[in-house]
Amino acid sequence: MFNQLLLNGIIAGSIYALIALGFTVIYKTVRFFHFAHGVVYTAGAYCAYSLTISLGINSVISFFIASAFSALFGIAIDRLVYLPLRKSNAPALVFLIASFGIFIFIQNLLQLIYGAQILSLRTGAVKEGHAVLGAVITDIQILILVVSCWLLGILWFIIEKTKMGKAIRAVADDPVGASVSGIYAERVILYAFGIGSALAGVAGVLISYETNIEPTMGLNAILKGIIASIIGGMGNIPGAVIGGFFLGIVENLGIWKIQAGWKDTISFVILIVFLLLRPEGVLGKKNRERF
Amino acid sequence: MEYFLHILVIAGIYIILTLSLNLIVGFTGLPSLGHIAFACVGAYTSSLLALNYGISPWIGLVIGACIASIAGLIVGFAAIRLKGDYLAFATFGLGVIIYAVSKNWVALTRGPMGLPGIPGFALPGFEIRPVWAYLILVIVFVLITTFIINRIVHSPFGRILKSIREDELASLSIGKDVIKYKLIVFIVGAFFAGIAGSLYAHYITFIDPSSFTPMESIMVLLMVVFGGMGSIKGSFLGAAALVIFPEMLRFLGMPSSFAAPLRQMIYGLLLIILMIKRPQGIIGKYKF
Repeated sequence: MFNQLLLNGIIAGSIYALIALGFTVIYKTVRFFHFAHGVVYTAGAYCAYSLTISLGINSVISFFIASAFSALFGIAIDRLVYLPLRKSNAPALVFLIASFGIFIFIQNLLQLIYGAQILSLRTGAVKEGHAVLGAVITDIQILILVVSCWLLGILWFIIEKTKMGKAIRAVADDPVGASVSGIYAERVILYAFGIGSALAGVAGVLISYETNIEPTMGLNAILKGIIASIIGGMGNIPGAVIGGFFLGIVENLGIWKIQAGWKDTISFVILIVFLLLRPEGVLGKKNRERF
Repeated sequence: MEYFLHILVIAGIYIILTLSLNLIVGFTGLPSLGHIAFACVGAYTSSLLALNYGISPWIGLVIGACIASIAGLIVGFAAIRLKGDYLAFATFGLGVIIYAVSKNWVALTRGPMGLPGIPGFALPGFEIRPVWAYLILVIVFVLITTFIINRIVHSPFGRILKSIREDELASLSIGKDVIKYKLIVFIVGAFFAGIAGSLYAHYITFIDPSSFTPMESIMVLLMVVFGGMGSIKGSFLGAAALVIFPEMLRFLGMPSSFAAPLRQMIYGLLLIILMIKRPQGIIGKYKF
């Protein structure tokens, strides 16, 4: 039982880590809570649904198209809503509330198009899983683990080793200093939204093979993503990954003793504990200005 | 006619909610995105007291509002430690927790099945059942709320709230106990939200968690921001406009599976446009 719950936690955690990572990359460059990140995740899932189920395109190809679509979608949100706000120097809170507006708008747009019913990318019968160390793991779950670990590696490489990543880190550390040394912040923000939103889209597509697609799925995803980011240390990339796995595992081990309905409550209680006792997160640095 | 009066009752309840949130967000400048949770606490407390112990809704309303204040105090503690978007997210999280409790604590709240048959308010020899009578009751509560909040914000106490909003460090440096004021604001705001929740429960006579979803808090915030941050008239305008306007969609003869998401989309779009064009709201003075 313990092993199974631990495994479920790791799988849930890898999805949370992907969302938290995308959120964190964006947060690093723009310094506000991009709540609508959750709805990018939903849009990615629905895009894959339209391609695979409605148009009958090969699932691997539609996976890539859906990720690209999510990236463009995130960039579009930035250009249409956040750019005008940046120009008027709005405080972070105004961005957050506008982000809620985007979230509500897109979620209901998807509901209008696809209806409120539950859809799924799974076709055919549910396959029997493999037994590993007393736990059962399905092919899809293996795929989720492999893809997310691979993406976590790629992202680490982009941020740490490429010029683009260096620019992102520079803008994150000091936007004015970065622009003085010739880094065009708007372009870096564009990269960040592209990369971050693609990660959200990937998470959305992966989860819709494992569970279901519904218009409201984004809320839970972004809440967990933000909690994971806060646990790990806001704006800290390894922190977001640690936070994601930590949250997934604790949540799933929690329902060993408590009813499954309380999962969300567990994660919010963790959030409140962290915010009150260690608001800078596990890996974050103390920053008095924000708290 | 009955229907029109019904809309006015709902608008009145939202005006109380909006005024109480405006005290926290608009006048004191503390972002609070979990306001509906206080209404949830008030509604469930007075309904359960009436259903399980036969306590009069009048007393239930007061007890419900007091329990909501305790919830407000807890949220207030978060407001001491956190600022800006962190506080906003934490208050939203507390809204999620209260929603989850109302949904999962089935032994107490009956979970998603909801609480049916909640008794209404009664005066000696007269039960406040007809919609017109309930409208009068709601108007009385709106007037009480407006009077008290108006007195608060125009008193020396209210000036300190505004000074916290404008510059917390400055008010701290002239010796104002900022922590105390923040806590009081959350307690008072939650108290009136609790009243609004209880008025709603005894009017509809049925409550379930779906009336108190976390996104509903964003709706109340939209009403505050739309009407005007830090403006009492604005709260009337925001709540009334956003309750009455979507009802017009109904007369256009749209099926509800279409009208409900469309209405939410309009709300979302409105929130975006307001943030870009006029973050202080139509007749508000204060921006975030």
